[in-house]
Amino acid sequence: MLDSLAAVRGCPSRAIEGASLCTAVSRQRDPWAAADELAAALHHETLGFVLFFCSAEYPLPALSAALNAAFPEVPVAGCTTAGEITPQGYGRGCIVAIGLDRRDFAVSCALVEDLEGFDLLRAQHLVDGLLAECRDRAVAPLAEHSFALTLLDGLSSSEEQVLATLDAALGRIPSFGGSAGDDNRLAHTHVHAEGRFHGQAAVVVMINTLLPFEVFTTHHLRPRAEKLVVTRADRARRRVLELNALPAAEEYARLVGVPLAALDATAFARHPLAVRLGEAHYVRSIQGVNDDGSLSFYCAVENGIVLTAMQPAPLLEDLEAVFTGLTERLGEPTLIIGCDCFLRRLELEVLGQVDTASRLLAHSRVIGFNTYGEQHHGMHINQTFTGVAIGSRPR
Amino acid sequence: MAGTSTRPSLGSPVDLARAGEPPTEASPAELLDENARLRRICAALMERVESAGMAGSAPYSAFEHTVLLAEQVRERTETLQQTLAELHAAKGEAEAANVSKTRFLAAVSHDLLQPLNAARLFTSALEEHALPEPSHRLVGHIGRSLKDVESLLGTLVDISRLDAGVLAPDVAPFRAGQMLDVLAEEYRQMAAAKGLTLHYVPSGAVIESDLALLARVIRNFLTNAIRYTERGRILLGCRRRPEGLEVVVGDTGPGIPEAQHEAIFQEFQRLGGSRDVQDRGLGLGLAIVDRIAGMLGHPLRLDSRRGQGASFSVLVPYGQLSSASAGSALTAAPSGSGDQLAGTRVWVIDNDAGICEGMAALLSSWGCRVRTATSLARLEASAGTQVAEVLLVDYHLGEADGDGLAVAARLRERHPGLAVVVITANHDAAIKARSRALGYGCLLKPVKPLRLRMQLLSLVTTQGQGRG
Repeated sequence: MLDSLAAVRGCPSRAIEGASLCTAVSRQRDPWAAADELAAALHHETLGFVLFFCSAEYPLPALSAALNAAFPEVPVAGCTTAGEITPQGYGRGCIVAIGLDRRDFAVSCALVEDLEGFDLLRAQHLVDGLLAECRDRAVAPLAEHSFALTLLDGLSSSEEQVLATLDAALGRIPSFGGSAGDDNRLAHTHVHAEGRFHGQAAVVVMINTLLPFEVFTTHHLRPRAEKLVVTRADRARRRVLELNALPAAEEYARLVGVPLAALDATAFARHPLAVRLGEAHYVRSIQGVNDDGSLSFYCAVENGIVLTAMQPAPLLEDLEAVFTGLTERLGEPTLIIGCDCFLRRLELEVLGQVDTASRLLAHSRVIGFNTYGEQHHGMHINQTFTGVAIGSRPR
Repeated sequence: MAGTSTRPSLGSPVDLARAGEPPTEASPAELLDENARLRRICAALMERVESAGMAGSAPYSAFEHTVLLAEQVRERTETLQQTLAELHAAKGEAEAANVSKTRFLAAVSHDLLQPLNAARLFTSALEEHALPEPSHRLVGHIGRSLKDVESLLGTLVDISRLDAGVLAPDVAPFRAGQMLDVLAEEYRQMAAAKGLTLHYVPSGAVIESDLALLARVIRNFLTNAIRYTERGRILLGCRRRPEGLEVVVGDTGPGIPEAQHEAIFQEFQRLGGSRDVQDRGLGLGLAIVDRIAGMLGHPLRLDSRRGQGASFSVLVPYGQLSSASAGSALTAAPSGSGDQLAGTRVWVIDNDAGICEGMAALLSSWGCRVRTATSLARLEASAGTQVAEVLLVDYHLGEADGDGLAVAARLRERHPGLAVVVITANHDAAIKARSRALGYGCLLKPVKPLRLRMQLLSLVTTQGQGRG
């Protein structure tokens, strides 16, 4: 099953063969067959970079080898997912990819392997390197025409610090991204760069283009009146042991009205908790219940933080409104790269709205994946749809 | 402090949303228990509050810090964008004001130039009359005063045009001698009037520039040299440099201290030393020179030290003459005698009746047979079947006739041999270029009698050759 958005649409204002952004999906289980299928769809004379998102079910070393063989001349970056967003909407167990034409996009890419030791000096060095590489091939002035995409190991527990540091180094360059997933097994998540998959690592991709773009984030959750205070936390393991001086899982179960034993990802998706900073609420998603009655989170927690109970508003209405706004500002998008929290997809599955969502995503030309957390301007956020929309006409 | 001793919260949970309402019918033990929990909540909150604001290494602090930073950046970006928008609007207003000022100046100067033009033509005509000697002297004074007014006005207009960027150069190759011979002749007399000698070294080099603008630069050099030199001589000559022809004007005047070399190129800067009561300059000369040279891309040079004279020069790139322009009519030497124009039939079309009269008076004094009209229709009505050798036509006519070029084209349909001189107050190089392309002469208002005469002579001579 192949698809190429740009090939279907053509490139109206430019007489070129190939297209500035091609997309493809392969549902082949065999990594070699999958890589070949992607290459057949994406390869053209001026292909400059390939970005992919794949199911964690693939044998990863073999997939790396297959991708290296399929795109010998072109850098490839990507990560494992908790579900894919294909040209036809939500997918599972497959691999999606985006091919960027080097005439429209100058791309550079770097790998961070030591997340713990990623300090400002290293971040500055990394960003300088990315910008220098981009500058050599720049298709537009770097300032105002570049954004960074971050892909992080979603189980590394280092997102906040890495992102805050990286954001400081990026300065005014907007950034967004997602934490890699592993189909909700919570065991091993990986990012891919420099020819192979890496755990406990991050990939930063700098993209420079003359096409208009907008980095955005949205969620559909509204605050309720109830507040919970974290009275005991294990910050190193992102665990909350007590809420309101009571065992965390119990207190949470009581708040949301679900039996303790029935707490699962679906319940967490439907009843999120958030911290309020200024006027905005930032969801802190729960990963699971531990045997000691504590709750594990997908993001940093701290003793004394106040969590607000949240309730969902219609998810797809919110998303559609965001897409409409983007179209008004940028024109019809050529592509939206979307980092969509896997809990959102879980909620849609529970509500039986997956097909409707798939139609909206396909219609809006979204390619992306379901994440274990999203990144927006250096902030590690949860239960959002975060991404970049790329317009079609140079500004 | 581990939560082992706390009982299930089913009875009376800490409902922080309704913290104001007291729990109902709680036992003392329950109240004690709740009290203990509240203390612990309080302690956790205090710990958090006290550690907040520190850019610590804790992951949650990093997140919080980033959020607050992003919020600040968003606010500042908004402020910045608003400021930018305001600046943009202010810049737009300033630009509009500048444009309207330039338009106003152009309009005013145009309106002033018209009557001045007429006055100059009348005075020139009057000078040709046989007048008693005292009257003749007075007429001469009037003529010179008018000339001063004209040059001052021209200077002001030029500065405003240069600043507004509306004066576009009309660059073409020509012989340096073609321009310098005329200037040398003109200024030799001025120098002599002050008891100075002008030493001129002719050059055969071909250069590429805007003839009128470059002449203006060199005129300024010459005027200054004469103005500031009390005794000795003025030099006008050229040096062949590898990168171009350096046109030099030197003098034996008091010189310019090094410290003032830059200042003299600014407006309204005058050096002391001139005691010439006739001198009525505004100190605009070198400011214009600087702007013109900048626009043409010709580097200027000043060599001078106090008490050792000064030498101003401008470096002009070499050019290549096309074969057609090598024998241009412009090189025709002016002749002192008025006989050559005698009997030449000249038609003048100008929608300003004053100009028509002035032209008629001047041309008649040269022996021309003149017919003037304020429109094409009137000329055709009065001329009937007569013919003429030369047409002098104003570029800006009434709306019925179109521009001067259109009128000329219509007349030439019936009179193919008619030579045309277009007269315009518009310094737009495009008009000059179009005229030149059609083989017409082009003169700028206010029309200088000498130029008009040279133009007419060259046309009559060429036509004579053409017929022969």
